[in-house]
Amino acid sequence: MSAPSLTFDNVSRWYGDTVALADVSFTLGPGVTGLLGHNGAGKSTALKLCAGFTRPSSGTVRVLGSDLSDSPEAYRRIGISHDRDAFWPFLTARAMVALCARLRGVADPDAAAARALAQVGLEDAADRRMRGFSHGMRQRVKLAQALAHDPELLLLDEPLNGLDPAQRRAVVELIHRLGDEGRTVLVSSHVLHEVERMAPRVLVLVNGHLVASGATTAIRELIADRPRVIRLEPATEGRALARELVGAGLVESVRFDDGALLVESGDIERFSRALAGVARDVGARLRRVEPVGDDLESVYAYLHERARGVGR
Amino acid sequence: MIGGAAVIAPVYRLTLRSLLDGRRTLALALLALVPVIPAVVFAAAGEIDPEIFWARLVQRLIIPTVAAFVAVVIGASAIGDERDDGTILYLLSTPQSRLGLVVTKVLASWTAAALLLTPPAVVAGLVTLGSEATPGRILWPLAGMLLACLCYCAVTAWLSTVSRRPVVIGVLYILLWEGSIATFAASADRLSIAAYGRVIAVEGVIDVNAPETAAPVALIVLAAVAAIAIRAAARRLTRSEMP
Repeated sequence: MSAPSLTFDNVSRWYGDTVALADVSFTLGPGVTGLLGHNGAGKSTALKLCAGFTRPSSGTVRVLGSDLSDSPEAYRRIGISHDRDAFWPFLTARAMVALCARLRGVADPDAAAARALAQVGLEDAADRRMRGFSHGMRQRVKLAQALAHDPELLLLDEPLNGLDPAQRRAVVELIHRLGDEGRTVLVSSHVLHEVERMAPRVLVLVNGHLVASGATTAIRELIADRPRVIRLEPATEGRALARELVGAGLVESVRFDDGALLVESGDIERFSRALAGVARDVGARLRRVEPVGDDLESVYAYLHERARGVGR
Repeated sequence: MIGGAAVIAPVYRLTLRSLLDGRRTLALALLALVPVIPAVVFAAAGEIDPEIFWARLVQRLIIPTVAAFVAVVIGASAIGDERDDGTILYLLSTPQSRLGLVVTKVLASWTAAALLLTPPAVVAGLVTLGSEATPGRILWPLAGMLLACLCYCAVTAWLSTVSRRPVVIGVLYILLWEGSIATFAASADRLSIAAYGRVIAVEGVIDVNAPETAAPVALIVLAAVAAIAIRAAARRLTRSEMP
């Protein structure tokens, strides 16, 4: 791998008493990397730091070998689609993308705009004023202006927001292509399966901390393998069922909660396969079986605790 | 332009269009027309010496109120609006010099203010003075107004890089400092942009409300304040937190 396109060295960013990013270090080279985290985890702050729109409170950010706040020259080589839904309503999509390309030093901005708008599938609407554009169309204009000057580094904040499924597919393919062409692409999302589709590598932020980084598939397994709590509502024979589940080693712990059982399992697959049989054996009828804390927030909380546990 | 920063033509056109697009422009254009009303009323009645009336119109209404207000609102919008809606990020994520961007923004807002203010001011002067109109009686007040506008545009451009409420601050400055304190505390005029504009204006009309300053000094002060404000704004653009 050549010199890293983007380096974070012990970067922290705080606003008053609020820590947006805490001691984050990573380097990025060519290819697509996902930036995953819930809303408020620090994704946008991290991308703003990459884009030079804000400075770290401590630590250093190097983008394409330079510090953007010293010299804006590197913006010729960086494409940014930021999180604001910002556009000039009186311009056509073509005019806006051409303007951005011109300001970034492109020799033939009109040709560059036509090419970029075609890449995001907006040729047909290119000559309409953006005043009447839908959210998805504006999102693609933002993407087009980030692409038009053929940048080496792309910073895309939630680029799939507001897109319908077909457009999402097209943009995901485009992002793959950009990575395959050897560009460095950092793309943020708060949805795991979106990141899985876009990026082979991922950085996971929780409450401003970088809690995991590596291959997306490995992170996926980590998340799938975490201990899970399942809530069982047996109509009858609750205690017998609990005894049997513990006895068979299917669950690590059992708590009684207002007639229901809260069981914790380290191997959710095995537990799922065995549950029906065990219930039948002890004569317990199950009214309800539902996972507890299977939302993304608790996944992130788990990753956060795990990262702290291993002394990161 | 200043320190070798060139005007960025596409940004100039974009800003001018953005400033003149929308309902706010209509309201400001109506405000800019206000000086024509007393001019027409006076021309119909014709009881005061036209020269004195025109001098008062320039020094008490056009420069300190109408032009100041229009220039502050437009000057603060050139960067402030884009900061509010996030479009400034498209301009900042380019290799263009920050100083060049600010110079361009200030010139565009100055152009917009001049486009709105100049025609009604000239009409008001011609109507008031009638047969006594001379180039000097029209052009000196115009020069004073436009130079004050440039200064307002530059200072509010800077204000819009340090505050989220540049228009409010600018209007308060016009009302409280220039419009009130400076009228009874004479030395407060030294910190009044409109007062220096009036100094230039009275080269061509009778002095009814201008401080004792030489016109070249007023010109230098307005230019220096504008240059300092532009520099400071450019500095803020590289260092401040963008939305």
